[in-house]
Amino acid sequence: MSFSDIWLFVQQGLLSGLVTGSVYALLAVAVVIVFKTTDVPNFAQGEIFMVGGYVALFMILVLDWHYALVIPVTLLVVALICALFQRVVMERVIASKGVGVQLVIATLGLAYVLKGAVRQTGLGDAPRSLPALIQPDTVLIGDAVLTHLDLMILFTAVAVMLALYFLFNHTRIGKAMRAVGMNPKAAQIVGVSLVRIRMMVWALAGLISAVSAILITPKILITPDIGHIAILAFAAAIVGGITSIPGAIVGGFIIGVAENLVGLFISTNAIVVAPFLAILIVLIVRPQGILGGKLQVKKV
Amino acid sequence: MKTNFDKWALVLAAVLLAALPFIASGYILYIVNLLMIYIVLALGLHIVIGETGQFALSHAAFYGIGIYVAGILNNTWHLNLVFSILAAGVVTAVLGYLLGALAIRMRDIYLALSTFAFGEAMQWVFLNWTEVTNGSNGYQMSPAQFFGFELNSDLKAYPFVIAGAALMLWATVWLSRSQLGSAFRAVRESDVAAQAMGVDTNVIKRVAFMCSAAYAGVAGGLYTTFSSFIHPESLGFWTTILILIMIVVGGIGSVRGAVIGAVIFGLLSELLRQVLSFQEIIYGLILIGFMMFAPRGLFSGARARKAPPAAATGGASGEART
Repeated sequence: MSFSDIWLFVQQGLLSGLVTGSVYALLAVAVVIVFKTTDVPNFAQGEIFMVGGYVALFMILVLDWHYALVIPVTLLVVALICALFQRVVMERVIASKGVGVQLVIATLGLAYVLKGAVRQTGLGDAPRSLPALIQPDTVLIGDAVLTHLDLMILFTAVAVMLALYFLFNHTRIGKAMRAVGMNPKAAQIVGVSLVRIRMMVWALAGLISAVSAILITPKILITPDIGHIAILAFAAAIVGGITSIPGAIVGGFIIGVAENLVGLFISTNAIVVAPFLAILIVLIVRPQGILGGKLQVKKV
Repeated sequence: MKTNFDKWALVLAAVLLAALPFIASGYILYIVNLLMIYIVLALGLHIVIGETGQFALSHAAFYGIGIYVAGILNNTWHLNLVFSILAAGVVTAVLGYLLGALAIRMRDIYLALSTFAFGEAMQWVFLNWTEVTNGSNGYQMSPAQFFGFELNSDLKAYPFVIAGAALMLWATVWLSRSQLGSAFRAVRESDVAAQAMGVDTNVIKRVAFMCSAAYAGVAGGLYTTFSSFIHPESLGFWTTILILIMIVVGGIGSVRGAVIGAVIFGLLSELLRQVLSFQEIIYGLILIGFMMFAPRGLFSGARARKAPPAAATGGASGEART
């Protein structure tokens, strides 16, 4: 492999990595906000993302609606599913004194239900993807080739991240969400409704998942088993430190770039195992993640 | 500590299991063999999660290593099944002890995710180390040997599987009543308090990982006595989750919970195979339902406790039932 080849691969790997990484980053943010406010690693995250893709597919293929209608309805449906799940199921588990592991298993239950429900529609029988939103033109950045779709994914993802930054720093609801993440009891005392905030956080996570689903589904083929992608979101969240939103974003980009570079330089076969090695290495070297802050010691 | 409930349940189970080979067909015996494997797996996960409170999600990996070790020993040297099962247990125990090092550095979600990563990496190894595991084509195992006697049917393997499971059940009860069991529970309740009582928490955590992995290895070894085929696909995260579900629904920290949970969810996942199309929805709804209405599990005791479930064989829950 000559030097110019390597240089080309590095550029292509970096740029493609940033594109896929932006989607992982969004999903990782969804994982992190749910984990921060409800203490639950949401194992249904991948399936929520998958449902987003299929809701959009259903409206385009079966109902034949226009994109302008499909996008808002998809966001609404997925956010609603998530909010309902938190309000009806998770609150009930919390009320009957369920702790971490019970909540996790409830999310696993949701994952099974969503997957089964999508299979029932029959849309999942063959791998499908959404029709392209825009013309499949390509652009050359440096020596790397990207499609317009890639650029749109990256820009939309960044826009969503900026919107989230605004939400968490400049709105009352966002601040309330952060307060619940920091200290639920104190937040309740100053008048934050935990039930309401937790529901909104889940809805927000659903919203973010639906956005990433709509962004990436025109680019890849989805099946009901696409939920595996959540593993990468978890990897990203851990690499960044599972309680840090900026960390999740950085982690997402790292995982995306690492995945692409591994695929280009080592083998496509090794892509699958790369995120797990990343998780193991990060957790052993710096257990709290890159931006995770100080490790907390549990008091007696 | 043994309650009437336990005594009668054991007697009933023994009678039922002894009578079964005379009345049941091969398929039923296969299911019972499989349930026994699930029981051993659940007991293993019970030790590390229920007793010691360390969230290890690498159980299926050790189960897989156990299967491959026992299967390879059996295929290449036609080793007596007792030795191949022991070898599987020893290999996984050593690996478990090594992996236990993770528990010294991490806790809770971090530990869960790093062991999960280990599990996924092992599944990848099973899938891609083709020379040894035959990769994604699955690994074919010749019938297990017992002093020249070939176990080529579910019926012939049945007594060995039952004996193995019974032995592991006895070992679990013995372990949880021993000093080691107390140390496990001390670590579960509080690292700091356990240390103050003179428990070396680092060693205890690693020993818990070691025991748990050894159980999974033995379960893998037992699996090779009645099954002739293993595919890496069935050694992934979802198998670990199935076992986790068993001990959570049974009641975390309770031996009888682990056993009953293994039986219920072992049967359930087998029965739901018949209604493939609704399998996932039904399964998911059952999980959600259990967590909503009985999050503490079947055997956590009728009385609500503020503290985490008490000692594994604590009498209270049994008496409440009988």
